[in-house]
Amino acid sequence: MTTAQRPPTDHPLGDWQGLSPLSVWADTAVGALFIVPAAIVGTVVLIVLDLPWWALAPLPGALALIGGLTALDMTVLKAVSYRVTDERMEMRSGVLAKTYRSVPRERVRSVDVAAPVYARPFGLCIVTVGTGEQVGSESDQVKLQFVTAAQGERLRRELLYRDPPTAVGAEGADGAEGAADADGLELARLDRRWFAYAPATTATLGIGIGAVAALIGANAQSEGWIHRWISERTGLPGSAEIGAFVMARLLFVVPAALFGLLLSGTVVLVAVAVETWWDYRLTRESNGTVVMRRGLLNSQSLTIEGRRLNGVTLHEPLVLRAVGGADVRAVATGLGAADAEKTQAKSRLCPPMPRARARELAADLMRTPESPLDLPLTAHPRAALRRRLVRAGWASLAGFAVAAGLAWLHTLAAAAWWDAAHEIEERLNPLPVATHLVEAAPPWGWWLLGAAFAAVAFWYAVGSHRALGHGLHPRYLVVRQGMAVRDTVTLERSAVIGWRITRTPFQRRAGLAHVSATTASGKGMYTAADVGLGQGLAWAGLAVPDLLSQFLERDGGERPEDPRARG
Amino acid sequence: MTTDTPRLRPPHHRVDPRAVRWWTTRSLITTVALAVVPVVPALIWEPVRPWFLVAAAVIAVAGLLVTFVMPQWRYRVHRWEVTDTAVYASSGWFWQEWRVAPMSRIQTVDTARGPLQRAFGLSSVTVTTASAAGPIEIAGLDHVLATRVADQLTETTQAVPGDAT
Repeated sequence: MTTAQRPPTDHPLGDWQGLSPLSVWADTAVGALFIVPAAIVGTVVLIVLDLPWWALAPLPGALALIGGLTALDMTVLKAVSYRVTDERMEMRSGVLAKTYRSVPRERVRSVDVAAPVYARPFGLCIVTVGTGEQVGSESDQVKLQFVTAAQGERLRRELLYRDPPTAVGAEGADGAEGAADADGLELARLDRRWFAYAPATTATLGIGIGAVAALIGANAQSEGWIHRWISERTGLPGSAEIGAFVMARLLFVVPAALFGLLLSGTVVLVAVAVETWWDYRLTRESNGTVVMRRGLLNSQSLTIEGRRLNGVTLHEPLVLRAVGGADVRAVATGLGAADAEKTQAKSRLCPPMPRARARELAADLMRTPESPLDLPLTAHPRAALRRRLVRAGWASLAGFAVAAGLAWLHTLAAAAWWDAAHEIEERLNPLPVATHLVEAAPPWGWWLLGAAFAAVAFWYAVGSHRALGHGLHPRYLVVRQGMAVRDTVTLERSAVIGWRITRTPFQRRAGLAHVSATTASGKGMYTAADVGLGQGLAWAGLAVPDLLSQFLERDGGERPEDPRARG
Repeated sequence: MTTDTPRLRPPHHRVDPRAVRWWTTRSLITTVALAVVPVVPALIWEPVRPWFLVAAAVIAVAGLLVTFVMPQWRYRVHRWEVTDTAVYASSGWFWQEWRVAPMSRIQTVDTARGPLQRAFGLSSVTVTTASAAGPIEIAGLDHVLATRVADQLTETTQAVPGDAT
């Protein structure tokens, strides 16, 4: 806790409450779900191995284990209690090492209510309370596992609802934020057509390839036994025959294989999206909090205090962008998880949807008459493009060097080498066509690959320069960057708590800098990358008046120079 | 933007000149520690001795080069300033960084001194805000001055309203 601790003068609003006793049963059920089948398998294996006496051990052992865990769980459960008073939320836990945690309610930024599939039959949910602090580890969070759904809903409503007169934000909150809309304004609701965007990621092909790789790996582990066993049962022709068949019909087999991979990836990703986003609803309640509900089997609701939603990120990964989709993420305090990846996942406010709809949703979330996302952004100088082109040049050179090496090896390779390669592949891969394909390819094919790589590198460089931009809205600052993943971030100017300017020697020579606004929200820092030094400083100076401007010097028309001129 | 291009003026105060000796010593210790690593197998295992000795020499030369260049360079870059409304500090040598934080958003102010800094009578002031971007560190101040700066910062921070997030 960072502010001065106030003496606990609050009157208890609620009494100390425990977790739901049903949680023990939920935990037991989950434990049993894993332990009992394992015990049954153990018993069967022991019987097969003809050890009848030993076979009597696993099941009673498993039951004793479950009983022990349940008893332990019961003790832990009894030790946990929580209460919500006018000013704080308090939680006690621990059997041997007792801990007492107290969070001032004005520091509660978000409440996450999750009902995992195994807890739903018991009507239970997990409540995680997010505060403005940077979370060190999972155990630092206030997490109630499990309380009844009714208790969870009450906590969700009450923790973030405070009477307006409470001296919450001493820093000037915008008047617009205080005014309440009609109660429960719906910002978005699931449109099933959006599921079509789910497979628009680079993972679609990856999932299929991963599955195939796993199969080949398993086969290689068993020294080809799996493949032999399957072909004996199904009467498949031998590897060599299939290989010859494939080689003869490459034009058919390659597209068909690609299609198969894509199809399997699509099925998996759509299924995941349906599970995650079923029943998705995003609403703003009368007290300004933003509530997201979603989930088919594992249902979840996330409540963010409206005033702490300091901006949004329009998130457009390459493939999704290509098909005109985007999603919106929150830039808010109190959504921090243990690591950056979890924080990212937690801050998603909607499934991938058409870009126009996402922009509209973002504007609704920011409650501004003209959306900061519609602002024309200032491009970054040509020097930033030059930096990226130079990098692409080095990458292409490296690519060509590798291509040259492989082409040289290819021309050098004698028949004996190829035979050895085929033999190795045959041992690993039941469908040994990869090395045959390589052998059949002409040596200049490597150069073609090198050229393709270089073309991609330069395309990427130009694209990432075009992605760069920064702008200033009356209430928000906007930065955009990224080619593989393009993020347009809007951040409330009042949420900026500092500036960080970094320059490498190359940037100093090119008159560029990374100008970052630091904030307590989201990632903690949002950067205008490779902005012209003067341009970036002027932007930062205007964005938060009276902060950076006192350290700026103006000299008409001169080129921005290294402030630390030599000598 | 406008024809009137702003420049970042360096913060007013340099760090203590003794910081140069502190950085030199620190870099020297790191160099020796890294260079010794390949020497150990070189002593034990004869066949690879020349290779490991070459590696040790390369590390030593690179380390000495840094030791020679870095402290002076840092001394020119590292600066700090505290105004009524903000803390402003610059640091780094090859990669340089300028940081600004407003008084109203400062959460904690600490002074810290490692054994090496203590040997040179130096101290660091660390200013933390609620951001994940990390604290602002003013390293290599005179010990007494650092305490005074920290006290002054704490005082000003308390006088300025704000919940620091």
